[in-house]
Amino acid sequence: MECRVLSIQSHVVRGYVGNKSASFPLQLLGFEVDSINSVQFSNHTGYSHWKGQVLTADELHVLYEGIKLNNVHHYDYVLTGYTRDTSFLEMVVDIVQELKRANPNLVYVCDPVLGDHGSMYVPQNLYPVYKNKVVPVADIITPNQFEAELLTGKNISTEKDAVEVMDLLHAMGPDTVVITSSDLPSRLGDRFLVSLGSQRHVRPDGSRTTQRVRLEVPKVDAVFVGTGDLFAAMLLAWTHHYPTDLKVHTHKQTQKKLFGAQSKVPESLRNRSRLFKDLQRFDELVL
Amino acid sequence: MECRVLSIQSHVVRGYVGNKSATFPLQVLGFEVDSINSVQFSNHTGYAHWKGQVLTAEELNVLYEGIKLNNVNHYDYILTGYSRDISFLETVVDIIKELKKANPSLVYVCDPVMGDQGAMYVPENLLPVYKNKVVPLADILTPNQFEAELLTGRKINTEEDAIEVMDLLHKMGPETVVLTSTDLPSKQGDQFLVALGSQKISKVSDGTNTDQKICMDIPKVDAVFVGTGDLFAAMMLAWTHHHPKDLKTACEKTVSVMHHVIKRTITYANEMAGPGKRPTPAQLELRMVQSKADIENPAIVVEAKVLQKSSQ
Repeated sequence: MECRVLSIQSHVVRGYVGNKSASFPLQLLGFEVDSINSVQFSNHTGYSHWKGQVLTADELHVLYEGIKLNNVHHYDYVLTGYTRDTSFLEMVVDIVQELKRANPNLVYVCDPVLGDHGSMYVPQNLYPVYKNKVVPVADIITPNQFEAELLTGKNISTEKDAVEVMDLLHAMGPDTVVITSSDLPSRLGDRFLVSLGSQRHVRPDGSRTTQRVRLEVPKVDAVFVGTGDLFAAMLLAWTHHYPTDLKVHTHKQTQKKLFGAQSKVPESLRNRSRLFKDLQRFDELVL
Repeated sequence: MECRVLSIQSHVVRGYVGNKSATFPLQVLGFEVDSINSVQFSNHTGYAHWKGQVLTAEELNVLYEGIKLNNVNHYDYILTGYSRDISFLETVVDIIKELKKANPSLVYVCDPVMGDQGAMYVPENLLPVYKNKVVPLADILTPNQFEAELLTGRKINTEEDAIEVMDLLHKMGPETVVLTSTDLPSKQGDQFLVALGSQKISKVSDGTNTDQKICMDIPKVDAVFVGTGDLFAAMMLAWTHHHPKDLKTACEKTVSVMHHVIKRTITYANEMAGPGKRPTPAQLELRMVQSKADIENPAIVVEAKVLQKSSQ
């Protein structure tokens, strides 16, 4: 398998978030991972202390220039996650657009990290950049419920709402949308959270079809960091192997990982409790 | 296995040198790898172009401070390689000293990268820092012939010279020394290069010291690879961890991993370049990800010869 991913995410000396969370699993699965580290911190920001340096939009551009000058700016996938800086994000968009010109088949996997549990944990001015520039060039997006609601301006109270929101997101650009976690009640009880996915394809006869899936994911009673980054990386990997079978690849990835809340939320909101058991069932929505 | 490595090396966006070369193989073998990237470049400096940023000694210190403030400055191993900056190297020395105070059993694996084939490719003023400050702290050292000669001030023309130089290096600090490549003639002919190793083992029972000295004839490959020295040092770390008193086995596994990765790489590179064409640096990037199985469980392809065991 000769598949090259450009991943633009954080680097932490210790621990597993951003590129540290995404690279090793992808490499294990045989992907060539080129990684641009958007920051270098001692550890993630959920510890008592953290120290380090950030990459500016200019420095990002310089690194990309080096790749381009050597004529090796050919990627099959681009993967991005947590960003705090508008100009950096805009530079990422420029790079993705150029890479798509170099390879029209490039798949951009985008985790539109904006917040969770009803509040934003990145600067507010990132929101229009995601909405107007980033999501339109994404092929696969992995918002949580809050991010999906923010991007579409529509609240999710029922499964029907969720399906409408995913369709609105499709209309913005990406053919594959996974709402990684939601507050929708699970059929299996309150020890489970509901995750949904939607993928649009064009059939050989030219007609369009949409596959939708719903997963009941066991909760775990702890706060994990880096899980969203792992999720996006694994979605990249498994959609690569199952490009038209959303069901299998979302199933594979929720089985393989612990699922938990991002700890970028402040202490007061860290009251989500999740319990982990073996994944028991998931449904394919028939619509 | 709960074994934590702090690796302070370069990062390249594309390709396999420095931390990119060392991290994946060590992770595959089950090591927890904390990595401080001393630079971030688009690619290694053997390409036509390269661009990026360097970490200053001050910034290195800031990162280490973060780790220390969280009280997670506990490592089993440190790994360092190519450095171009004296103050950076001196800050690395300070960090190692502190980590050794925090864990007296810490093993420092040091590749004293200074040059090769008779010429230095780092600033000359790094030599005294390596000689006087770095090597004395090292536990495992992986110099090539040129670096070993520079550090000891002695030339290597024969196997005896090599043995004397390794003993001089032991006296400077490290208990394990591997001369990763030499110009010594191989008994197997000119398609082979000679590597040597020496390890001091103290017997706790009776306090005697034993040396294990080994020699290997390694098949040459007709190409220039980058990042292989970094992979070598990382694998020496891994295999001496599993075989702490058996340099022969540790070296055989290390060299065998190198061989499999290099063979896979040159085959792919020649395929990409096409018949009669020399592969480019981009095509010659190590096939690291593709060599996962060989890294995990290397088939032994080189046998190390035990030269002598002497006891004092």
